[in-house]
Amino acid sequence: MSTLLEVSGVSVSFDGFKAINNLSFAIGLPELRAVIGPNGAGKTTFMDIVTGKTRPDEGTVRWGEMGHSLLSMSEAQIAREGIGRKFQRPTVFEDQSVWDNLRVALSKPRGPFASMFDRVTPEDEARISAIAQEIGLSDHLRRKAGVLSHGQKQWLEIGMLLAQDPRLLLVDEPAAGMTTEERNHTADLLKRLALSHAVVVVEHDMEFVRRLDCRVTVLHEGSVLSEGSLEHVMADERVIEVYLGR
Amino acid sequence: MIRLAIAALVGVVLSLLPPGKAAAQEAGGPDLQSILQQNAELVADASRRTVQDVLDILIESGLPEVPAFLATWQARELYQRESDGLFFYVEDPDADPLTLLDITSGEAVGTAGSREVAQLRPNRGVQGVIAAALVQFQLGSDDPAERLSALASIESDPDESHLAILRDMMETETDADVRRRVEALLPALVIAFADEDAPRIEAIQSLAGNVSLSARATLNPLLATTLEVAEALPEDRNVAAQIRPGRDALSVDDAYAMLVDAGLAPPLIPRSERVDVLAANILDGRVGGVPVAELNTEDARDRAYAALVEAGLADPAPTEAEVAEAVRSYVFYEVYRESSAAVTTAARETLEGIETRVGFYRVLDLSLDGLSLASIYFLAAIGLAITFGVMGVINMAHGEFIMIGAYTGYVVQSVVANETLSIAIAIPLAFAVTFAGGVAMERLVIRWLYHRPLETLLATFGISIALQQIVRLVFGALTQPLTPPDWLAGSVSLNDVVSISSIRIAIFILGAIFFVLLWLILNRTRLGLEVRAVTQNPAMAASMGINPDRINMLTFGLGSGIAGIAGVAIGLFAQVVPDLGANYIVQSFMTVVVGGVGNIFGTLVGATMIGSLQKAIEFLNPSNTLAAQTYMILFVILFIQFRPRGIVALRGRAAGD
Amino acid sequence: MRDTIFTRNRSVPVFIAILTLLAIAVTILSEAYGTGALSVSFTKVLGMTLCLCLAALAMDLVWGYCGILSLGHFAFFGLGGYMIGMWLMTARTEVVIRANLASSPIPPTEAEISQATALQIFSVVGAEDWPWMWAVSDSLVLSLLLVVLVPGLLALVFGWLAFRSRVTGVYLSILTQAMTLALSLYLFQNDTGLRGNNGLSGLQNIPGAEGVGQDRISIWFFWASALALGLCYVGAAWLVSGKFGNIVRGIRDDELRVRFLGYPVEVYKLVVFTLTAMICGVAGALYYPQAGIINPDEIAPIASIYLAVWVAIGGRGRLYGAVIGAAVVSLLSTYFTGGRAPDLNLGFYRVEWIDWWPVLLGLGFVLVTLFAPKGLAGLVDYLVRKERT
Repeated sequence: MSTLLEVSGVSVSFDGFKAINNLSFAIGLPELRAVIGPNGAGKTTFMDIVTGKTRPDEGTVRWGEMGHSLLSMSEAQIAREGIGRKFQRPTVFEDQSVWDNLRVALSKPRGPFASMFDRVTPEDEARISAIAQEIGLSDHLRRKAGVLSHGQKQWLEIGMLLAQDPRLLLVDEPAAGMTTEERNHTADLLKRLALSHAVVVVEHDMEFVRRLDCRVTVLHEGSVLSEGSLEHVMADERVIEVYLGR
Repeated sequence: MIRLAIAALVGVVLSLLPPGKAAAQEAGGPDLQSILQQNAELVADASRRTVQDVLDILIESGLPEVPAFLATWQARELYQRESDGLFFYVEDPDADPLTLLDITSGEAVGTAGSREVAQLRPNRGVQGVIAAALVQFQLGSDDPAERLSALASIESDPDESHLAILRDMMETETDADVRRRVEALLPALVIAFADEDAPRIEAIQSLAGNVSLSARATLNPLLATTLEVAEALPEDRNVAAQIRPGRDALSVDDAYAMLVDAGLAPPLIPRSERVDVLAANILDGRVGGVPVAELNTEDARDRAYAALVEAGLADPAPTEAEVAEAVRSYVFYEVYRESSAAVTTAARETLEGIETRVGFYRVLDLSLDGLSLASIYFLAAIGLAITFGVMGVINMAHGEFIMIGAYTGYVVQSVVANETLSIAIAIPLAFAVTFAGGVAMERLVIRWLYHRPLETLLATFGISIALQQIVRLVFGALTQPLTPPDWLAGSVSLNDVVSISSIRIAIFILGAIFFVLLWLILNRTRLGLEVRAVTQNPAMAASMGINPDRINMLTFGLGSGIAGIAGVAIGLFAQVVPDLGANYIVQSFMTVVVGGVGNIFGTLVGATMIGSLQKAIEFLNPSNTLAAQTYMILFVILFIQFRPRGIVALRGRAAGD
Repeated sequence: MRDTIFTRNRSVPVFIAILTLLAIAVTILSEAYGTGALSVSFTKVLGMTLCLCLAALAMDLVWGYCGILSLGHFAFFGLGGYMIGMWLMTARTEVVIRANLASSPIPPTEAEISQATALQIFSVVGAEDWPWMWAVSDSLVLSLLLVVLVPGLLALVFGWLAFRSRVTGVYLSILTQAMTLALSLYLFQNDTGLRGNNGLSGLQNIPGAEGVGQDRISIWFFWASALALGLCYVGAAWLVSGKFGNIVRGIRDDELRVRFLGYPVEVYKLVVFTLTAMICGVAGALYYPQAGIINPDEIAPIASIYLAVWVAIGGRGRLYGAVIGAAVVSLLSTYFTGGRAPDLNLGFYRVEWIDWWPVLLGLGFVLVTLFAPKGLAGLVDYLVRKERT
């Protein structure tokens, strides 16, 4: 297992409030990692930094075997490097069909002229079908994404993430709004993905995290509080203190 | 008529002469009419050379009515009766018959048809001599005000004869005001009329640092030059600079034209003239052997013309090489009209010093202009800073609220005639009207569109064109007057360079008041707190017992009401027309965006920047305010590339990334 | 599963059919080639309306599909008009000057003709030399190239600056409006080379077609406008029906998502912005020879807002919506402001349409925004759906 992403010494502040404070984090390929922490711990800001949405005030973010910096890249470039992101609130193109959503996400050339002359090959068709199968939306391909249920939208967004074929997946609260059965399915899917990808899951639901059965990183006030197996961090005095109050 | 009045005044003043002197005259001397009769020829047919004799006699007489007489004479309002040669004034020169007035008592003594009397029309030269005599009278007056007015007339029309008088006055004058005025006036006269260089140079140097227009007007003529040409630079002339044709501000063609004018070179044959010559020599469809149809190139025409010259049918025209050679063999130079080099040098040095100072004051004046434009932009944009900046509502009809404010002022003024009172009524009324309009608009349209900003833009634009057209229908498309009170009509000036109109100062003050008031409202009152709460998180605010509907309504009303007041202020100096507001809307939005959305301090900074920038660009290209606006907008567009959130930017999550 | 331009845009065959029928009908009724029921001036109005529809189509692409409310597209339209106008005016004036100079005893040189032409064109602004921007005004081919290049280049530079610094939403609208204002102020100046507020005139006279009457020229331009509209409609439909269309609509609805999918959002916006600016340039180049005159007033910010208004009334995000909106509103405007609509006598007040039309238009626009956000096309959709069920 080699290190795919290494975040070190990163800090960022908004109007004097330190959202991220000297955070260091690393994940290898393949690996599954859960990130937990109370509200305001900096989980989403951490993802914003990795995906290029927020520029840190200091620190480095290194990527891939060559270890080059992500800090000078745009969001789109970072995405093309192979970092996919699922947002906390499901964001899919509600006005377009499920099929279109998946087609747009398929990993193909991203330039405008390539898109203009893009033709749907049988391989594309097969891949879309396979992903639809995986996320249980085979019967909904022609429907508009906007009419799907909340859980289905979550699934669609995960499906788009798959279609993107990234090396690192940043998944923000994937199980929110899902039934228990759906959650289990999601957890299984993420675990399967983690066999060949690096997957970072941000989640509140401890049950879901337990089911993921992976290393856990606890964030608090913008830095890593504890790291290890779920049992290990749950036993950590500081974690208990943060979660249960002083 | 005015001159008659002056003459009357002079008469009154002179009648206050020391009684001893006047009494002496009364005792024995002849009266005015008889003196005149003795010199009737000289008066009636006065010439520049002879009139001084009559004047001397009149002044010698010391009669109190002499000044009034001189003024009337100079004004060509003196009449002579044909029958007996007596002189009279008339009551009204346009009446027929004329009412004759006695020249001593001023009483009516009869009438005469216009044929029976001759109007005396002294020529310009004679008028000048009479005026100089009058000035002497006035300067001799005991009343300082009278002496000042005499000095003013000297200043506007100086004459060589005044120099000695003023020099005398410097010795004798006791009144401080008059003395100061003489001191100010003397250098100009010395420079213009003194014979020797030394006093002139001294006078020139005494003007150092004086930025008044008159000082510059005194010095500039000394440096006037004329362009001349000669075979070599003349030694005996006060040469300002040598000019190299083609390089300095003189083209080779113009230089050659000078040579032609001076008879130093043969004239060029202009192309149009050459064509005429060619046309005059068409022979069997050919000119100089070249077929006419081929004469549509300069080359062919050259050949044809050369052939004509060869045949002696046309004058030879100098070639370009000859022109260049001719120009090269002469010297072109600018020579000062003033012959003394020492004087011109002193004038140049002094003027340079003055120009530096003037430059400094210009910058100051420009800054004031910029500040005043900034306060206008600020006024126009401040309402928008609330509706757009704080609430995030794009109100394209904001300009129309300004316009409605201005029209409110106009309507009030057409009812209440007193300007001060009408403005005092108009300001709160305009606020009320536009506040109501804003609230109505918010309730009826905008609140349905809070989550669709682009559609708010278009809907409010629809309202904007409807309002504009309705106002046009009601009041007409023409400019309506909104007159500022008298105490706002003038201007405050520091010197001849720096001045600012009172109304702009008032607008600046109004802008400052608005800024402070709004800042207090937004930051120090419950309403401000609630506004900020609703803007940042309406749901949360609602759960805390704030009614977002009410707050939105009030905030929008406030923003619109302020636009109304701004409208009254803007209407006072701009033209009140239906598209008054439309002219400000784009600038207002830019002001808010440049300054930074979300706080009125940003709007202040934005307005200052845009206002001073526009004035600065106007200064660089003063003839073209349209160009200034164009470049200003381009600058703003570029500026936003680098500071998309404006100058005073909110950072982080609050900015709504 | 595969989508084609026709399955996604069922409106394309219908639209092309209607446009063809319209072209045939106008030809049959025209003065030049038919019964003469349609006056030359009305033929021109129809042709100009088609050009406005084309501009609205471009506006719909950039706003309705890509979500960029540009308040500058009518400026691109005007620029296209100016570009072709320079050629029309130069060539036409030169023909007149040549005719005038033909009688002179010595034939004029080319330089003299050029000088006289320049004097004729620019004496109205007190100039007599060719401004630099008229450098290629004697070449039809180059002028036609400028019709697309100049608006395209301006859009490219402006768009690159704006999109690069992520100016979006209403800020972008205000910025484009500022650009439009700057352009119109620039053109209003007498010394910038485009005849200031006199604009370019006499554009209806087509050089090289001196012997052809306006009756035939009007119908030619009508055909050309219809052809341009038809081609652009098909092209636009093709563009929005493919993956490019998906992405562009994605940018409109959720820019961030598109960005995190790895698409260079700015480049896509720039492509759409520039392409539509070029379409507007073409539309303007077809419009102004029919209008006969162009001046900076045409480019004023309000014109671009009207363009957005048409698209909104027609229904954005639907190509036919833009066309319907532009056609309906501009024809109604022509009718009501042309002085031909009979006044409405209410007894106590006489409604003169010339005066009241802007009020109605403004208020109508508010009502459409509030109550019919999908515009007239929403009505069409509703009717079509009702028929199917």
